[in-house]
Amino acid sequence: MSKAPKDQIKEQKLKIRRRSDDKFAYRTAIISCILGIIFYVVSFIFNVGIISVFTSGNFLFNLLDILIKIIAILLFFLFMMISVGNFKELSGNPLGWKELLLLFVLSLGQTLLNLLVFSLTFIGLLIIVIYFYLVQES
Amino acid sequence: MRKSGFYILFWILLVNVSIVSSFFIINGYGAAEEIDPEFGDAPIIDGNIDDSKNEWKEAIKIEIKLIDLPIDLWVMQTNRELFISIQLDLLSGYHNTTEFFGLLVSTNSSENLEDFIDAKFIQFTNISANEFVYLDYYINDSLFLNDTRYDGGGAAKFEGDISIYEFSIPIGQTNINGENEDTILDYDENYAFNITYGYNPIYPQGIKKSEIVLININAPNEKKIIISSLVLVVLSIIVYSSIGVLFGFYVYKIIKLKEKIERLRS
Repeated sequence: MSKAPKDQIKEQKLKIRRRSDDKFAYRTAIISCILGIIFYVVSFIFNVGIISVFTSGNFLFNLLDILIKIIAILLFFLFMMISVGNFKELSGNPLGWKELLLLFVLSLGQTLLNLLVFSLTFIGLLIIVIYFYLVQES
Repeated sequence: MRKSGFYILFWILLVNVSIVSSFFIINGYGAAEEIDPEFGDAPIIDGNIDDSKNEWKEAIKIEIKLIDLPIDLWVMQTNRELFISIQLDLLSGYHNTTEFFGLLVSTNSSENLEDFIDAKFIQFTNISANEFVYLDYYINDSLFLNDTRYDGGGAAKFEGDISIYEFSIPIGQTNINGENEDTILDYDENYAFNITYGYNPIYPQGIKKSEIVLININAPNEKKIIISSLVLVVLSIIVYSSIGVLFGFYVYKIIKLKEKIERLRS
């Protein structure tokens, strides 16, 4: 058997693999973006106080309210980071500090109306960034 | 060397823990709880806490014990009134038919008995029928005497296992009639409030449990509050709108990228 068809098959396989990788990255970017939008809406509803679900003085309800606010913002940041990361990869560039900083500021900006949510979200965002940085390095 | 390092660290930790715990002990015994109420929208004094209208939303909410009786205490103020809500949650059947809560108000931050000259009570006459009366007394040599003119207001409601009491007390109103029957609450002053509970409508003999709290009456600084909260709200709107716009732009870029990829593939 000649070498040319073997290389051709290899190249074709690589092409198919790259195509499926691209497809996967594209799908991940879209799904993560949709999830990011969902958590952005949840964060908007709870942080701006459009719907006051937990207004009673009950400690557990207050805790739940704060937890929902923080988790919504952290998940927004996480999914948008994944989405933008995949998008950048498809465009041939890695996710840079500029995009990361923008997402960080936009996430933190959602917490301006509550000091406690601001502080806890800040810590959460730092943990996520440090985690991804360490994973990337290793 | 490592062992001595460990011992030093252990002793530092021990000293640190002891100092920190001593602060909790100081706070835990003797000193009355001090409350710095927030400004907010005046609630309707009807014994009902309407969550849909965000009533009592801005109130400072704490749990205190009248000896062994835990109650929820909510305090807030407006420019003209101080609002206090007390909520008592007892197992069903443990609420007394003639249960009452009262506020004995000192002329200042002093907790001496003779400085409490004003008393306001919300007395249930029949708790299961939600019948109550608001009473305003002045205290003269431990005698509780009816005020000639009732100041402030009060209402109560019994629902489920919880009895809710709401008080309103005027702030910064001088005594026009010259009667010395009420404590006049002034801005930037600290007052001792004796929160009392009982179920026998005779005062003060019917008072069974009580606890003193200190409440600061804050001066109105509406402008400052409005401006700072307005700035934060505007900033939040900017952030959320920016995210919305960026989302739109990002979705457009994704669609464009898909077209680009498909073009490259073909």
